[in-house]
Amino acid sequence: MASATLYSVSYDLSHLLLGGIASVFPDPLRAWISNGNVITGLAVLIFAALLLAASMLNTILLIWWERKLLGRFMDRRGAMHVGYAGLLQNFADGFKLFRKTTVQPREADALGFFTGPTAYMVTSMILFGVLPISSGWNSGALPLSLLLALAIFSFAPLFIFVSAWSSNNKYSLMGGMRSAAQMIAYEVPLLLAVVAVVIVAGSFDLTTIVYEQQNYWFWGPLFVALVVFVAGMLAEMERIPFDLPEAEAELVEGWNTEYGGMLFAFFMLADYLRSLIGSILVVLLFLGGWTMPSWVPSAATSFPLAGIFWFMLKTYLVFAVFVWIRAALPRVRTDQLLRVGWNRMIPLSLLAVFLAAALVTVKCVPVFGCLPSPGI
Amino acid sequence: MSEMWINMGPQHPMTHGLWNLRVRIEGEVILDVDPEMGYLHRGIEKISEDRHYNEVITLMDRTCYVAGLAWEHLYMLAAEEALHIRPPERAQYLRVLCEEFQRIASHLMWYAAFVQDIGLMSPFLYGMRDRDLILDLFQSYTGARMTYEYMRAGGVRNDLPPGFTDRARKVLDWLLPRFHEYDQLCLGSDIFHKRCDGLGKLSAEECIRHGVTGPMLRSAGRKRDLRRDRPYAVYDQLDFEVAVADGADVTGRYLVRMEEMRQSVRILYQVLDWLDRHPGPVMADQLPRWLGAPYAPVGREGYLLKRNYPKGVGFSAIEEPHGEALAYVVNEGGEHPYRVKFRSPVFANLAASRHYLVGYRVADIPPIMGSVDVCVGEVDR
Repeated sequence: MASATLYSVSYDLSHLLLGGIASVFPDPLRAWISNGNVITGLAVLIFAALLLAASMLNTILLIWWERKLLGRFMDRRGAMHVGYAGLLQNFADGFKLFRKTTVQPREADALGFFTGPTAYMVTSMILFGVLPISSGWNSGALPLSLLLALAIFSFAPLFIFVSAWSSNNKYSLMGGMRSAAQMIAYEVPLLLAVVAVVIVAGSFDLTTIVYEQQNYWFWGPLFVALVVFVAGMLAEMERIPFDLPEAEAELVEGWNTEYGGMLFAFFMLADYLRSLIGSILVVLLFLGGWTMPSWVPSAATSFPLAGIFWFMLKTYLVFAVFVWIRAALPRVRTDQLLRVGWNRMIPLSLLAVFLAAALVTVKCVPVFGCLPSPGI
Repeated sequence: MSEMWINMGPQHPMTHGLWNLRVRIEGEVILDVDPEMGYLHRGIEKISEDRHYNEVITLMDRTCYVAGLAWEHLYMLAAEEALHIRPPERAQYLRVLCEEFQRIASHLMWYAAFVQDIGLMSPFLYGMRDRDLILDLFQSYTGARMTYEYMRAGGVRNDLPPGFTDRARKVLDWLLPRFHEYDQLCLGSDIFHKRCDGLGKLSAEECIRHGVTGPMLRSAGRKRDLRRDRPYAVYDQLDFEVAVADGADVTGRYLVRMEEMRQSVRILYQVLDWLDRHPGPVMADQLPRWLGAPYAPVGREGYLLKRNYPKGVGFSAIEEPHGEALAYVVNEGGEHPYRVKFRSPVFANLAASRHYLVGYRVADIPPIMGSVDVCVGEVDR
């Protein structure tokens, strides 16, 4: 079972289910139901449902994790009352938002007002299908999965702007504008930092990038790229210090000022989904994905879900760093973000690309060791 | 984006209360501002004319809800002058104790709100946590955490409970290193300086022209503090420095308030020592009978007592946590003040907002207005 992948599990499940159903029906129908294509189709659906459930569960757990950590940083406990240590608090919050009426401002443009949050949520969810979580939890070998992930990731400002503009609120509009300005500031250095990783790994495939890190994780030799990538990710996730589009002190709630009820919940969930994906990308690109540190005993590495365990552990630790940053830093201003983006982060990311090129040429670094022999 | 007016308030996270800042912006640059006050007007001055002198104290707690004791002190100084009463020295020390603790509590409240405005999350709760310790102290001797009703014409309501001074010293010992932590969290951060340095400039001359007082004036380098320049109560017997900074900007106001809290701690140590060494009465013994409790002697006797009481006019000025607060009380005989008038420092500070906001960006409004330390209760009264 060690080689069981998520897809093979859902295929077996689909086979079992359809086999059971088929035995009830007479022959022509039975033959159609137990047809290979139908089984594959259901397997894909089950696969998607599992992905959805896992992503939602992790997102909600992530909100809990942030609330507890923030609480501790602030010398308090965070959510405590619903469920053990407040674990169910976010489900209760979600349920509350679900029951609330969605209020649409009279002058708002209905099409944009409703499609904006939906598209924001959906694009964030699509991302989860692209990312490999472990060698088994992999939706398929996409040769350009990293590029696809980043492309979908950068859709968000567009949908933010659409929903901000159609809200017909001045604060929302300013938030949307800031979101667009912010994208200009961080997108270029972010992609250049990724280029550094791609140069070293020699592939755009996230799975390959992780396999390239079996000798050493990239965070050490590519530390400059890591710094730029994390800073860019903070801006991409719109978290303090780069949460200008929803700076609540001056813009009330920024681009989602007019949203309430389930539409607000969409934004909230999508925000944390994106935070989760940002942390996952950091783990995949720089922290070796699901590979384990060398000091882990081999008995533990061969444990069925060890890969996923290590992956989630790293993801939540990376997110803890993001929470730490949020607890400790004030918010910057739009013009300052642009200046930091263009004057500091782009030169740094170019340096990172240069270092990556040097690393590929030298192949072996004193402390970390050598790159694995090129596979592709 | 073309030019537009936006309403920041009355329900807006920046306002910290109920007032409206109308801002004309182009893109993110502020072209003009127009502060609108009056949403919280309760007519406190008018209501006071209908109340017994000691009943006005209740209103004072509601005038500024973060510095109630300072406003009680302000009113009591003016009312006692109008009524020709002098409180015993111990009561005066107790009032200074109240005012200085109140100053620290108010500044901590300001700190919490201000850091939240520039996006710092944790210090908000640190400030509130430490303010709570002072509220606990208030509760132990006034019985309340927000609306104290502690001072009376002729002194204070009651003396300190046993063991209070030791508990108070413990709180002060805890607070001093905390101020250092606050500084590390704010001044140690580059982003803080990026957000605050050189913002909301208002020179000392302009401050004086617009009646801007308190930490805003002192941050412009002018060493003016009524506790030193026009000593009231027992401030002339206490040793402290006037906090000044020379930036005339948001960082300067931050520095002034931080230093003021340290100086308040210094004053409080002296006051606590004095209180330990000098037990005594906390109420004047020569009070007219009708002042002791509202409506005490009734009938013709009481009426004559009140009517024949000598008339007078009282004026007081104190250095309230937000700036210079002035009070004017007219005693025309009888148990009600004939006229009560207050000067709120925050009103003047807010009214000058056009002079320190125009030209900056929308994102600068929260730090600048946060550095003004708005308390709408006393603005609208």
